[in-house]
Amino acid sequence: MTEHLASFPYLSCMLLSPVVGLFILLFLKEHQRLAIRMVSLVAAGISFGLSIYTFVSYDKALGGLQFVEKYQWVKAFGITYFVGVEGMNAPLLLLTGIVIFTGVLTMWELQERVKEYFIFQLALVTGVFGVFMSYDMFFFFLFYEIAVVPMYILILIWGSTRKIYAAMKLTLYLMAGSGLIIPGILLLYSSSGLFTFNMLQLHAVQFSPWVQKLTFVLMYLGFGVLAGVWPFHTWSPVGHVAAPTAVSMLHAGVLMKLGSFAILRVAMYLCPQGFQYWAQFMGLLAATGIVYGVFVGLAQTDLKYVIGYSSVSHMGIVGLGLATGTVDGLNGAVFQMFAHGVMTALFFSAVGYIYDRTHTRDIHELGGFSKIMPVASAFFITAALCGAGVPGMASFWAELLVLIAAVKVFPIRGLFAIASLVIGALFALRVVQNTFFNEPNPKFTHFEDVSPFLGLPRMILIGFLIFFGLFPQVMVSMIKSSIVPFIQGM
Amino acid sequence: MTMLLFGPELYFLLVALVLFFFSLRRTPKVKADHTVATVLALVGFLVAVACIGQKGELFFKAYRVDLFSQIFKAALALGLFLVFMISRNLAGIEERLHAEFYLFLTTCTLGMMMLVSSVELLTIYVSLELSSYSLYILVPMRRGDDIDVEAGIKYLFIGAVSSGFMLFGLSYIFGATHSTYLTDIIPKMPELLASPIGLVGVLLSLAGFFFKLSVFPFHFWAPDVYQGGANQVVTFIATASKAAAVALVLRIAALGAGAGYDFAQALVILSIISMTLGNLVAIIQKDFKRMLAYSSIAHAGYVLIGILAFNEAGYSSAVYYALAYLIMNFTVFMVLNEVARDGRDLKIAELAGLYHRSPLLSMSLILGIFALAGVPPSIGFTGKLLLFTSAMNQGYFLLVLIGAVNGTISLYYYLRVIYAAYFIKGEGLPPIQLSWPTKMLNYALCATILFFGVAPDSIIELARAAVRTVL
Repeated sequence: MTEHLASFPYLSCMLLSPVVGLFILLFLKEHQRLAIRMVSLVAAGISFGLSIYTFVSYDKALGGLQFVEKYQWVKAFGITYFVGVEGMNAPLLLLTGIVIFTGVLTMWELQERVKEYFIFQLALVTGVFGVFMSYDMFFFFLFYEIAVVPMYILILIWGSTRKIYAAMKLTLYLMAGSGLIIPGILLLYSSSGLFTFNMLQLHAVQFSPWVQKLTFVLMYLGFGVLAGVWPFHTWSPVGHVAAPTAVSMLHAGVLMKLGSFAILRVAMYLCPQGFQYWAQFMGLLAATGIVYGVFVGLAQTDLKYVIGYSSVSHMGIVGLGLATGTVDGLNGAVFQMFAHGVMTALFFSAVGYIYDRTHTRDIHELGGFSKIMPVASAFFITAALCGAGVPGMASFWAELLVLIAAVKVFPIRGLFAIASLVIGALFALRVVQNTFFNEPNPKFTHFEDVSPFLGLPRMILIGFLIFFGLFPQVMVSMIKSSIVPFIQGM
Repeated sequence: MTMLLFGPELYFLLVALVLFFFSLRRTPKVKADHTVATVLALVGFLVAVACIGQKGELFFKAYRVDLFSQIFKAALALGLFLVFMISRNLAGIEERLHAEFYLFLTTCTLGMMMLVSSVELLTIYVSLELSSYSLYILVPMRRGDDIDVEAGIKYLFIGAVSSGFMLFGLSYIFGATHSTYLTDIIPKMPELLASPIGLVGVLLSLAGFFFKLSVFPFHFWAPDVYQGGANQVVTFIATASKAAAVALVLRIAALGAGAGYDFAQALVILSIISMTLGNLVAIIQKDFKRMLAYSSIAHAGYVLIGILAFNEAGYSSAVYYALAYLIMNFTVFMVLNEVARDGRDLKIAELAGLYHRSPLLSMSLILGIFALAGVPPSIGFTGKLLLFTSAMNQGYFLLVLIGAVNGTISLYYYLRVIYAAYFIKGEGLPPIQLSWPTKMLNYALCATILFFGVAPDSIIELARAAVRTVL
């Protein structure tokens, strides 16, 4: 892969902006709420702006790795600080920027332990940015862990609904995944004989088949826990329900993508033969996840659980796309990571707003909520339409690409996936009807609708969903510019 | 001029003398003693750092001063200084014994400093006993119920037994090689290790240090001593004493480096049992110090992972981890000392409301605990990853897998501490006021944990240069 050095450290700025914000927050007092929020917003805003900049100014014709920064870090162990942007991670950096920026706005009304909340949230997002841009396995894993661990505290303090159980379950599941990832990474490191963690250099090594098979399955399972791969997904609905709104947004929207991105970037990239060996298995788990997520989601009455299980099935689509190993499949998978990230963020953002007012997420209790809060309901309904795969929304194209590829490679699993998505769409509409278009619950009639300022983050999210729904080519050509050489290199 | 090589040790000998005179006073001057001792320890640390570049041999070549020994001397002096820093409020020990507390900690440090420089079997043994006897006195010094006596006796007996093992092993090595000098022994080892006597000799010689490091099967004292000893004494045992033990295990284990499969397998088994046992038993502990004791058993297992790689990378990562462990474990103990001001044993649940009582302490606690659990970006994470890397390079896949899984298990009980500090409400408990030196200490420790976790290169290069003289 060609590397083009950065003229200015855009990526480091994107990464360090939350860190600087975090350190400024440490020195603010708890009661300076406005200052705390403004610092967080500016820190997130800078990263958001830079992520848009890298996305827009990435030169697709030139291809390869751009905005590269490389510094030797630990000489003795061959660790380098190596970050860069290519077609497949630019959308995900953009996604992270969108979600953190709107996440800060969504949590604007937070009253409890505001300072610490934003400190942990900024720490978490630093990790996420780091994973998406790192091309050194040490830093990749370091950032991966940074992204995972603050969740425990975020859920424990600011969460709801069985939060103690959920926080511990989530953390242990994800750390157990890490327990599989470390041996995988180190096995590659040691069997390469190069004493380097640089992924591009490791890619050039022909690992023996058994190393590839073993490493791939370790990493697939380890990262798969975070990606919500069935049957290791059980932490995810519980965790998403318990987490505070912006954390659910970040977690379902971005963190789960870390898992699937890592499977693509590390496992498939470094162990192509391992991938060939396990591809059928991946496809099977992914298809099961799609069907399972749809049907379990149907039985839920808590709105957040509905979204939680729909995430399992949508992440199954990502997994199915990856398992195909074709250009269209991978393209769709990355697109779906982006689209599902924005969509889920919108889902949780909308539910969070409703829950903060009514303190319920029960479908039947909410009843005809659209008559009380038409705008807030509209946000949710838009997300639901996107989740159901309505054309004109970003998810439609992503799912289309994946399903076309899947039917070619795994016909039966692909058809099952399509069938369950159609059923899922039907029932998603039922959920929308029961929640928003029945008789309104008189308890809630005194609530006011979303103010323009609080509506802003949701509007941004909808804007991105519709933009990439109408102009999918922008995204598809971007991803394709790196997927095609990726497949050729496998 | 040659005596300058002995500088740090001479300095601490003098400090011990000064403190000895303090202990003769009829009416104790608690505050003044503390201030003097702390300042002297700080100067000692500076002396040790100033001597870090020295090289040479003393006492008929029984005593070698090199980068390896000087780094550990600086670490030990730092450990002593840190423990004195948090001894302002020595509620666990009677006032008339405070001067003795400082005196014996200083002699213990002196013993360990001599230990890390010793390259002759008898010198090693004598230095080890000097440090051990000081601790045998310190452990039962605690005021109050009889638990301290039980702890003291347990520590003494298990210490004596492991010393016995060690002497037995040393006698084998001496018998087979006709020398007590490590420099003479090392060239003869490859040949000797082919026979059982060499292998048994080296393994048994390690027993004395496995005891200090609380490696299975010499770990039985740890929980009781941690719980029964005064908090400050335990802090010293859990930090400085461990670092010295790692240094000596590195030196002795180097004897077995040529032994190949058998010796390494023995260490692999000890490492796996220590990690797994420590982590599993720590889960059910309710007393904070007992939990930390079991976690120290687990950490001893992690350090062995680096040692059994028998190469520069492995040894330097073990040194890095030992230094990191000193800092992170101290951070946790400092919080424990501040919360248990009256010198009592702290239950994990008693950390309740720490977040409200002192945000700064709770931040230190979270960083210390995360570092112990191996969560980035902390020295604990980097250290553990380096250990695993060096072991994997030697082909220990299963060992690394087990180590990594153990990391997950340990997270459960570490998170319970954070849960208690952040989440359980401490109704009616007063805020904890910190003096300005303690505040500075908190900031310094947090900064160290984060900075060297993200930028470990300088320490690793130093450690690599140091271990070249050992291997």
